[in-house]
Amino acid sequence: MAAGPAPLGGHPRAQRPHLSKMERVVVSMQDPDQGVKMRSQRLLVTVIPHAVTGNDVVEWLIQKYCIAEDEALHLGTLLVQHGYLYPLRDPRRLLLRPDETPYRFQTPYFWMSTLWPAAELDYAIYLAKKNIRKQGALVDHEKAHYDQLHRKINHTWDLVVMQAREQLRAAKQRRKGDRLVIACQEQTYWLVNRPPPGVPSVLEQGPERGSCTARQVQMTVDFYKREIECCRKALGRTRVKSSVCLEAYLKFSSQRGPHDPLLSGCLPSNPWVTDNDTYWAMNAPSVAVPTKLRVEQWAFSFRELLEDPVGRAHFMDFLQTEFSAENLSFWEACEELRHGGQAQVPALVDAVYQQFLAPGAARWVNIDSRTMERTLEGLGRPHRHVLDDAQLHIYMLMKKDSYPRFLKSDLYKDLLAEAVVPLEMKRRVFPFMWKPRHSSPSLALLPTSTSGEPEAAAEGSSQQADPHKAGGPWTELAEAWHSSLAPSPTFGTDTQSKRHSLVVTSRGHGGAGGCATPTRPHQPSSSVVSQRPQLCHPVGQKWFQPCHPSTNQFWFK
Amino acid sequence: MAKEECKALLDALNKATACYHHLVLTIGGSADSQNLREELQKTRQKAQELAVAIRARLTPPLRDRGLGAEERAEFERLWVAFSGCLELLEADMRRALALGTEFPLHAPRRPLVRTGVEGGASGVAARALSARSLRHEAERDFDVEDLHQLEREILKVGEMIQDMEMKVNVPRWTVQARQTAGAELLSSASAGVSSVGGVSVQQRTGPCDLSKALAATIFSAVLLAAVALAVCVAKLS
Repeated sequence: MAAGPAPLGGHPRAQRPHLSKMERVVVSMQDPDQGVKMRSQRLLVTVIPHAVTGNDVVEWLIQKYCIAEDEALHLGTLLVQHGYLYPLRDPRRLLLRPDETPYRFQTPYFWMSTLWPAAELDYAIYLAKKNIRKQGALVDHEKAHYDQLHRKINHTWDLVVMQAREQLRAAKQRRKGDRLVIACQEQTYWLVNRPPPGVPSVLEQGPERGSCTARQVQMTVDFYKREIECCRKALGRTRVKSSVCLEAYLKFSSQRGPHDPLLSGCLPSNPWVTDNDTYWAMNAPSVAVPTKLRVEQWAFSFRELLEDPVGRAHFMDFLQTEFSAENLSFWEACEELRHGGQAQVPALVDAVYQQFLAPGAARWVNIDSRTMERTLEGLGRPHRHVLDDAQLHIYMLMKKDSYPRFLKSDLYKDLLAEAVVPLEMKRRVFPFMWKPRHSSPSLALLPTSTSGEPEAAAEGSSQQADPHKAGGPWTELAEAWHSSLAPSPTFGTDTQSKRHSLVVTSRGHGGAGGCATPTRPHQPSSSVVSQRPQLCHPVGQKWFQPCHPSTNQFWFK
Repeated sequence: MAKEECKALLDALNKATACYHHLVLTIGGSADSQNLREELQKTRQKAQELAVAIRARLTPPLRDRGLGAEERAEFERLWVAFSGCLELLEADMRRALALGTEFPLHAPRRPLVRTGVEGGASGVAARALSARSLRHEAERDFDVEDLHQLEREILKVGEMIQDMEMKVNVPRWTVQARQTAGAELLSSASAGVSSVGGVSVQQRTGPCDLSKALAATIFSAVLLAAVALAVCVAKLS
């Protein structure tokens, strides 16, 4: 139950080596000849021995371990914070002062390694005892803990009360001095294990220090054999030169850069930003007229072409004009075999054989003799990968032969010409203005082109949206990008001054309507702002002075 | 009545556990000695005897299915307190073993921690055993054998707890404790005042006693003066 016994031998001890080190230090301090000098503490009537001053402790540490004073002080403070030493005058301030403040050693029962983790039941008993002693005047956080424990371990509350009473009565059998010392010890223990609010807990350890048991690796013959095996396997792996890899990577990135919706924006508009899903409709898997970007992507690699259903269909048409459509059909049939259900495998293999591979088949594919022999052998015991070799052969054939012709063919060129380039959503009022290419600004570019304000401004931007736009900070940013360069017609209706501030900050040279500043307290009222649009015409914004003189300061950053 | 007997035994066990806890606190410290180890042994043996007795008394009613709901609740309450006590005892015994191994009494290179606690704890042990005083009759190497004994006893207690869990099925969380929060204040108000007042170094009870003593002396002085005056008056007149 809650008593939390530490296993014999101390598994928790092994996990916290710093505690055992500290305990060694404390024990070596106890040496009668070479330990710390002990004094007596004199109270009014009683004399309690075994008190040490902070100064003595620091000096002893310096002398024993040959360390500097700072380090000794730090080490001493660690000892006090972990509860191995406790101050006598100010028991709640657990730090070591290098002067005459008296300290005393904690009894081994209350050492961190013996009694950890602290049990709820013990804490409850301690609080009950304190309650009795102080006649109900517990400190706030102790009171809170008390109530919490009363709820949590309500079923053992009888035991708590009984034990508290009995422990106090047992303590009375001792002398006064001993009683005091024992009470101090217990108090220190609980100060360390249940620190009052505001005091950092010493017991917290970060996740990376969870297991301190470093397994000692035995340098035996087996270990070395395993190492050799590992290295041998590593040598045998195929490696590509990094120059080659990087070249390929660069080519990939430069080729696909313009196609990436995040890097280069997407036309007509980013559905997540504007809630308009034309983009998805236009790029659906089967669409009558593919977009230009999509058609261009087919030229990147054969795999792209085949993976796109529209592309595959057009390729099939092309092959039909060249009278080699059976290759693609065969390939598709093999794909179906590979990814289809297990039960259909024998039937499918048979069908494929009859249609494509048999000597007098209707759509006979041209496979080289070695592959054909192997395939025919494997057909005796059909499984889903029995046609893999043949499929690969046909694939490479198409890739090397038909695919380049397809790319040069008129069919493809016509497709490119017919492909639709979607228009952006925003209508440009003044076409001669420089239009941004895409309606959603590039996330990669935005932070570099703005001043430090956009995050703060975005944070503060309002959630109210225009009728045809969704809310959210990205809407604001989109607005910002647009409005700054080619002001939107909806701008005038916007009375939220925060958006203006956003606009101004994101394009330093001329947000429209910089009627708001980042220093929000001096905002004009919204009614004033609403009058602005008439005066601060969107076009004029770029060249005219801003309506609100106070925005001057960051206009031309 | 079986219940009263059980209650009395449980109180005795509670007392023994509390005293044992109090004694274990000082192992390894400056008050550690052969006597302490002997007291520990006696206390825990008494506690174990009591535990066995209680278990024998409590198990039959709880296994009896024909018991009334109220009576059963009462017995369950006692059972929960008993098992809690036993677990506390076992935990303390384990710690005693760990500490005893770490701080052997006669090892020259391993001094005891000077904790400031001196003086014997025979009063505590005597209280646990409900005896008037305790006689110490240990031999020289008592603590070493005691540790072996302690290990065996820990295993026994562990087995007993395990057995208890198996034999009697009392779900802990359903037991409603009789004592409310702050119940300890009620009956021990008298006991609390006279016990250790504060844990700060400045003894607050010291000045209180002093002021009381002062008041008493002043009063008696005034009384004496009054008596002397009365005598003088009587003599003169």
